[in-house]
Amino acid sequence: MALSNGSARSRKSNPTVVGINFGNSYASIAVINKEGLADCIANEDGERQIACAVSFHGEEIYIGNQAKPQLVRNAQNTIINFRNLLGKKFSEIPKDQPIISAPVIQHPELPDVAAYKVAILQPAPTPLPPASVKSSSNTPATSVLPTPRSEPIPAERIITVQEVTSLFLKSLVQSAQDFLGREVDGAVIVVPSWFDDSAGAALKSAAEDAGVEVLQLLDEAGAGALVSITEPVEGLDPDRTSLLVDLGQSSLSLSVLSIRHGLLYAIGSAHHEDINTEQIDTKLVKFFTKEFTRKTKVPLTVCPSTETADKRAEAKLRLALEHTKRTISASPGAASCSVESLKDGVDFTGSINRMRFDMEVRTVYDSVVRAALDLLEGVGLEPLHVDEIIYVGGSASLPGLDETFFAKGFPESTITPFTAGTVIGGGIGDPTTLLARGAALQAQLLAEIANEDEQIHAAFRPESEHATVHATARTIGVILPEADAGDEGLGGQWVLGIPRDTPLPYRRFVQFDCDLGEEDKEERILGMELWEVSEGVKVEKIAPPKREKEEGEEDEDEEEEEEEEEIREKILKKEKQLGALAVKAEKARKENGRWKTRVQVQFLAHSRGIILIAAEVSEDGTGAPASIHIS
Amino acid sequence: MATVISLPITAPPTPASWIQDQTNAGQTISPASPFANLFANASFELKAIKLLPVGLAYLAHVRRSIHNHSFEEHDKHEEERRKRVKNDEGQANEDDLGVGDEEETSELLALDPKEWKKQDHYAVLGLSHLRYTATQEQIKIAHRKKVLKHHPDKKAGLAGDSNDDAFFKCIQKAQEVLSNPEKRRQFDSIDPYYMELEEEVPREKEARRAVERDPKEFFDTFGPIFEREARFSKNRPVPMLGGMDDSKQQVENFYDFWYNFDSWRSFEYLDKEVNEGSDNRDDKRYTEKKNRSERARRKKEDNARLRSLVDLALAVDPRMKRIKQEEKEAREAKRRKVKPGAKSGEDVEKKRQEEEAEKKRAEEATAQEKVEKEKEKKAKAKAAKDARRAARKAAEESGAPTPPNGAA
Repeated sequence: MALSNGSARSRKSNPTVVGINFGNSYASIAVINKEGLADCIANEDGERQIACAVSFHGEEIYIGNQAKPQLVRNAQNTIINFRNLLGKKFSEIPKDQPIISAPVIQHPELPDVAAYKVAILQPAPTPLPPASVKSSSNTPATSVLPTPRSEPIPAERIITVQEVTSLFLKSLVQSAQDFLGREVDGAVIVVPSWFDDSAGAALKSAAEDAGVEVLQLLDEAGAGALVSITEPVEGLDPDRTSLLVDLGQSSLSLSVLSIRHGLLYAIGSAHHEDINTEQIDTKLVKFFTKEFTRKTKVPLTVCPSTETADKRAEAKLRLALEHTKRTISASPGAASCSVESLKDGVDFTGSINRMRFDMEVRTVYDSVVRAALDLLEGVGLEPLHVDEIIYVGGSASLPGLDETFFAKGFPESTITPFTAGTVIGGGIGDPTTLLARGAALQAQLLAEIANEDEQIHAAFRPESEHATVHATARTIGVILPEADAGDEGLGGQWVLGIPRDTPLPYRRFVQFDCDLGEEDKEERILGMELWEVSEGVKVEKIAPPKREKEEGEEDEDEEEEEEEEEIREKILKKEKQLGALAVKAEKARKENGRWKTRVQVQFLAHSRGIILIAAEVSEDGTGAPASIHIS
Repeated sequence: MATVISLPITAPPTPASWIQDQTNAGQTISPASPFANLFANASFELKAIKLLPVGLAYLAHVRRSIHNHSFEEHDKHEEERRKRVKNDEGQANEDDLGVGDEEETSELLALDPKEWKKQDHYAVLGLSHLRYTATQEQIKIAHRKKVLKHHPDKKAGLAGDSNDDAFFKCIQKAQEVLSNPEKRRQFDSIDPYYMELEEEVPREKEARRAVERDPKEFFDTFGPIFEREARFSKNRPVPMLGGMDDSKQQVENFYDFWYNFDSWRSFEYLDKEVNEGSDNRDDKRYTEKKNRSERARRKKEDNARLRSLVDLALAVDPRMKRIKQEEKEAREAKRRKVKPGAKSGEDVEKKRQEEEAEKKRAEEATAQEKVEKEKEKKAKAKAAKDARRAARKAAEESGAPTPPNGAA
């Protein structure tokens, strides 16, 4: 009976899981903290954005942000951009791009395998002679040979892409273990949606080599949306259409997602390799180079640079730009860029303000937004129908990009991390940590169901049959007919039931007040019509308010520039009536001379039909439900 | 699970001209069956899509899909699952020895530590369901729980008055009293919860009336009273009220014990504080003297109270009635026994002895818990009856073959 108080605290040992976002240029790690929220953690260098770079320098191996500066002087032995090569054969890798790091070569022994050749220093062999030459007295034999050199020997190491990945992942897991103080049992790794099976398999085996079990390879759209689902911004409908913008160093990924009560699927997605933040960097490098030459009269040719000195200068500038971009993202003021001894021993310090910055990279912003608009058009949506934009990637933290989205037709009501104010200070919308946090949330979910049967686990694999379902193509809802609604519009009050692109089965409860008129009748009926509607956009052009023409003002240039203002509005068009339902209002009450009641409507949809159930609700229980089934 | 979306709209009144369904005019809609109306010609557009296997909603979807559950069934299962998980978690921390979590009323939280003498220490520690039965271990755990919750350090960051550690002081005081056996005994003696219950002892009249209505009432009323009084006894075990079928011996034992009840109850806790500030010895002595006499008076009163309680119980005890009745019967039986004994012959005597032995065995087998005396008395009564029957039988069957068990 007498249990000692401290001894019985033996909790079930939950598996320790982490979420890893493995980007091409940067990776991040997230864990679930004590409050049950996902948290992006910093590695031992204090970096939350861990550069995907591995550098070999003599006997040392630098991994992460320490490897990046090696690109200046030790570029031949520094490996970057290796993630995108995972699972690719050597022959499939494009070789026309300018290379600023260790070149990809054909593996000398394995056929068609991409590898890197790096120069390293091997530790010298032991100076003692081999054990076979032993004197009888069991002491080291005297040797006539001179003692071998104890310095390390230069050697070459061939390392495959998968080995580099494994090396890098191991360091990530080590960071997580150091942070948690526990062994990491499993991880969910975020991969881009274009990752194919071979790339996934290669990543999985690399992770296994690094000693971590991959619970799931999570699509980046899923990871991004999961944070938005789990920790939604206030005022966001649980049924929404979101646009996920992942602006990465090597490519732009866009997804239009349907989020319906937490279930999500990609309505459409696009991948643009020709839009990336490398372009932003290049533009900025050019900008600062011009300024450097103007200030110091030292000639510097970059992008492309040919001379070694120029190449190093460019590499230094690119490293320094990272800081500049972060400053621009974080604060509204000007950001500086300083490089010591940029070229010929001349230092450089320049600054750029927000406006200038946005001007320089305007073309990149515009191409991102254009790609998004194209994608939306492709799936038959308008910017008006996008409720939320989710940004992913360091460059998506640039406020200029968000502003461009709003300038190009996205309505004010669209919720972005910037309008919700969740970007700064590592908020929930922080594009740099979002994916890792999403992965951590998913990892926690998978860890919780670890003890459940195999069927459920199988459902989380990509080929699961449970993932394939039907979705509605059109919006379905109820129209409450109105006496003098006119011919335009829907002819009554619209109540949304099942939005378009909703995976089935689906259920929704709605409650609203009803006005039943002022006359006292025997029986009061509330009519409902179930309609399938199509969503459209009404464009109204409003002429700008005419300026009073002043006498004597002759030049008309300015007036011509003023365009008609476009006002876009969502509209619904009736397509097909599915059914009708009448609810007898028995619990109506008279308020201010009008009869009123409150009705709860349940929409229950599966792939075989819709059930519409409506019932009165009041303080004294619910009324008799009326329902129809539509197949 | 199912959230209801409240729309900020007011539906317009349905026009009188509205017909329920233009496309399917004539069909009636029955509110009873949800599947009554099937619209063959109405359908909506669908497309096949692939869900992203992410998140709780997907897990729920998979569960529904695997088990082929409807939303309602799934809700029910989820509810059960949640309960189970909660249970598991509860079991993970089950080393609280049944201390549990008691609700903290606002009155409790508003207690003034200066008035600590008046506070209910068990309630403060959340042990009011255990009271004097709480073990030291339980008190320790309860105290730790409360401290974890109410320590001023925990409240430092919260809004409001961070210096408000009044309840924490109350907790410390309660712990101080309850963890010290001597102080706890003193507090247990005047435990305010039981003091209130003591007031509720029924009066003789109503008790008598209630017992007459239903003898069981007696045990329902007095059982808990004696159980709670028993905690003061120095001697253990304490005989409890028992049941209707108790023997005379047991009943007598019970009243004997309770009339000679040796109580450890004391009333130091209610002492007036000696005024610490004054160094007046006379003052101090005066207060002490007063306290002593007050204690003695209370003790005397308590003894008197208990005695009157036992008196009352004895007066209305339905068993006393029964015992008297039984004694009377026994006497009569004795008187009757003498007559058949004179009549019985020699052979009958033997047979009777054997049958008696058999009867005894049977009685043992049925394992009736009867006191020795009663058994004997009953046996004797039976034996007398048997003897009479046997005598009659013998008289009828004289000349007939001897009974198999007979020795004649």
